Amino acid sequence: MTMNVMLNAEETIASGSPIQPIVRLRGIAKHFPGVVANQDVDFDLLPGEIHALLGENGAGKSTLMNILTGIYRQNEGDVIVDGQLVTFASPLDAIAAGIGMVHQHFKLVKAFTVAENIHLGWNETPRRISRELLEARTAEIAASLNLAVKPAARISDLSTGEQQRVEILRVLSRKARVLILDEPTAVLTPAEAAELFKALRQFAARGNAVIFISHKLDEVLEISDRVTVLRGGRKVTTRPTHECDKRMLARLMVGQEVVLSNMRERRPDAKPVSAEPVLSLRDVSAHDDLGNMSLKRISLDLRAGEILGIAGVAGNGQKELSQVLTGIRPLVSGRLQVCGRDLSARGAEEFAAFGVGHIPEDRLQSGLAPALSITDNAVIREYGKAPLSRGWLYRPSAAAALARSIAEAASVTVPDFAMPVRNLSGGNQQRLVARREMRIASNVLIAAYPCRGLDVGAINAMMRYFTELRDAGVGVLFVSEELDELFKLSDRIAVMFHGEIMGVVDTSDVDIETIGLMMGGQRRSAADLAGEN
Amino acid sequence: MAIRIQRVPSENLGGGVAARLIAILLALLVAAVIFSLNGADLGALGAHVLKSTFGSRFGLMDIGLIMTPLILTGLAVMIAMKVGAWNIGAEGQFCAGAFAATAVALFVPGPTVVIVPLMFVAGALGGMVWILIPTLARAYADVSELITTLLLNFVGVLLIYYVATGPWLDPSGMSFAATKRLPYDIPSFWGDVHWGLPIAVLLTVLVAAVLNYTRWGYEVRIAGSNPSAARYAAIPFRRHLIVVMLLSGAIAGLAGMFEAVGTAHRLQGGISNNFGYIGIMVAVLARGSAIGVLAGALLMAVILKSGIALQTQGVNISTVLALTGLILFFTAIGDELSHYRIVRSKPA
Repeated sequence: MTMNVMLNAEETIASGSPIQPIVRLRGIAKHFPGVVANQDVDFDLLPGEIHALLGENGAGKSTLMNILTGIYRQNEGDVIVDGQLVTFASPLDAIAAGIGMVHQHFKLVKAFTVAENIHLGWNETPRRISRELLEARTAEIAASLNLAVKPAARISDLSTGEQQRVEILRVLSRKARVLILDEPTAVLTPAEAAELFKALRQFAARGNAVIFISHKLDEVLEISDRVTVLRGGRKVTTRPTHECDKRMLARLMVGQEVVLSNMRERRPDAKPVSAEPVLSLRDVSAHDDLGNMSLKRISLDLRAGEILGIAGVAGNGQKELSQVLTGIRPLVSGRLQVCGRDLSARGAEEFAAFGVGHIPEDRLQSGLAPALSITDNAVIREYGKAPLSRGWLYRPSAAAALARSIAEAASVTVPDFAMPVRNLSGGNQQRLVARREMRIASNVLIAAYPCRGLDVGAINAMMRYFTELRDAGVGVLFVSEELDELFKLSDRIAVMFHGEIMGVVDTSDVDIETIGLMMGGQRRSAADLAGEN
Repeated sequence: MAIRIQRVPSENLGGGVAARLIAILLALLVAAVIFSLNGADLGALGAHVLKSTFGSRFGLMDIGLIMTPLILTGLAVMIAMKVGAWNIGAEGQFCAGAFAATAVALFVPGPTVVIVPLMFVAGALGGMVWILIPTLARAYADVSELITTLLLNFVGVLLIYYVATGPWLDPSGMSFAATKRLPYDIPSFWGDVHWGLPIAVLLTVLVAAVLNYTRWGYEVRIAGSNPSAARYAAIPFRRHLIVVMLLSGAIAGLAGMFEAVGTAHRLQGGISNNFGYIGIMVAVLARGSAIGVLAGALLMAVILKSGIALQTQGVNISTVLALTGLILFFTAIGDELSHYRIVRSKPA
């Protein structure tokens, strides 16, 4: 109790107001092997407010919320609810404390009805109950919370918006006072989003609080009372929303201090940028895995000796673009040339043979066989060439030698090359993949999110690899969602939005706000910008 | 200082082997407890089992004979696992191989030097035909081979019962569910033990060599471990899947051929004797290693032979099958536990 009183006093002094926050996070840090997901994060949530949590992918928003909801345990810092220091051993403890979360991917049982989903895993559900009573209870809860749902409907028959309402109802029925929503509008139509906002305002007006996770600036400005911006796992600031505008939030989110370090400068002996493109796309379209058109008539040139950055919010076609450029994904239409040769209809083998290396977006899922040895994984590009293979014979000793030299070039210390590659840290896996691909990338390297999830040291190593390739006359296509990385490294930046290129601009002519606007769907060309300056 | 249990990504080799040995010992211990609760004289039973397995020439011969099909079915399941497929249907492929080889023996006249190799080919082809539909369904329609291969087992077993009690029944009337003694034989090299055993061992070594020392083997390992990585590296996953699954069926078919022609000398109902299913256990115990297949087959052969010995002492054969289940059960627990280590640390 002493602790309790002390905290209250401190809070009152600190905020200068008598309102006690429902939730207060103090000095939260969470480390994963090789990655700092959160560091020194302070956050408070007042009753009656909608508090937006803004940040790019990987800024640490989800980790922070997972700590608040008992999924992760913080390495440092305190979680304080109603002035009480709490320790959540599991999400159940968080729910008992009135904190509930609606995840981006719903956690509903599709074959069950709404009423069954609401009552699933809830200790207030009566042991024996008829279907009618279950539905009546659901209707009653829904009415009391002013959320319209159809208790008897099966989840699989509902629209995404309706499913989300069921998720919210499920959280609120557990007497949640804090509702956390992770990118709630990503799956909604504008009309559904408007309805959601109305429900959230009503909920907050009853003295509850909402944490609204998003990277969409418009809706943050529309719905929230205060905004907290996270970047690189740290808190940048918390401000009342009415003091903010879009440009300012964009700058806070992507980083004020874009360090224009000398990574764009070439070594004196570097090969010049070629006049002719080493890789060129003309009107290329392609489907995603679900058969939707995810690349729409893209035209793009990559020259030898340059780094072309691809910016954009993840999921706007970058993955499909990198797969098309490496022969993994077939073109629906259009033409693709490497060094003047038409490879439009060719597969991964020909691309590799033409000197196109590929660091895939998800290294563990597609770039590596996680259960196989480091040696097996290191040689996946060269197992068919001498000295690893003679005819149909494969020589494990030669493979081990190559694996050793790749690990050495990547400065990865490997205790045992027969160990499964998944035992390496994410950063070391990525360095190995990068070094492996650099060996075959004599013309082009396609690097999709190569720095995602890495710590600063590994990111720097990765960037040095790319400048090394660039100076050696290789064209590097660098896909990233981190604008400061793109600005540091790229000679030109192309921005993708909904499967289209919003424009290709010279990095030296552009500022972060412009790129941010292009990421939101505004078209710009290099000529426009030259006109502006 | 506090003691914590920590999960590690993969266990070390020594730990894995130790976990396996402990699992087998625990399974034996549980069996011993159950036997003694039933009033059995453990000392006498144990002595009898030892004498009838390792303690006599006939015991060792029987172990050799039982091992032969187990090596092959184990190898069949193991090689399918290498390409990421679960061949639960070694039992059915075994039956198909036995059926095809018997058909050659019964209906194709010719000198032994021609017919024995022909039976060999027929056995392999029989097993291959039996896995063909599951293979194509998996490769082109992504139908789980787990279900299709399993279901075809029942068809295979019943097919043998049908021909052995019906069209191919021994005309002499000496038996109810078997063909006449086959006119051809696999030569023996030690008492009853025929050349099927060394051929099975040789095949295992060959498969291990192919997987580790050929380009094709490397591609199969990558494709089986992660099909997306195979696509990324332009390795034809589907082609390897089809070839390896057919190979798996062929090896299981060979097991049936050796059992019918070399060991039983006739096709009889129930000839597969769960060898296909026990082959799954052999492969799981082997953890993808060929030498492991040989060791696993030996272990299972000893257990099955012990079971036969125990049966003469009035112990039900189901008890022995339960024992194999216990071993698998404890091995699974042991494998999981060997992913954990105990660390001492300061309390957080």
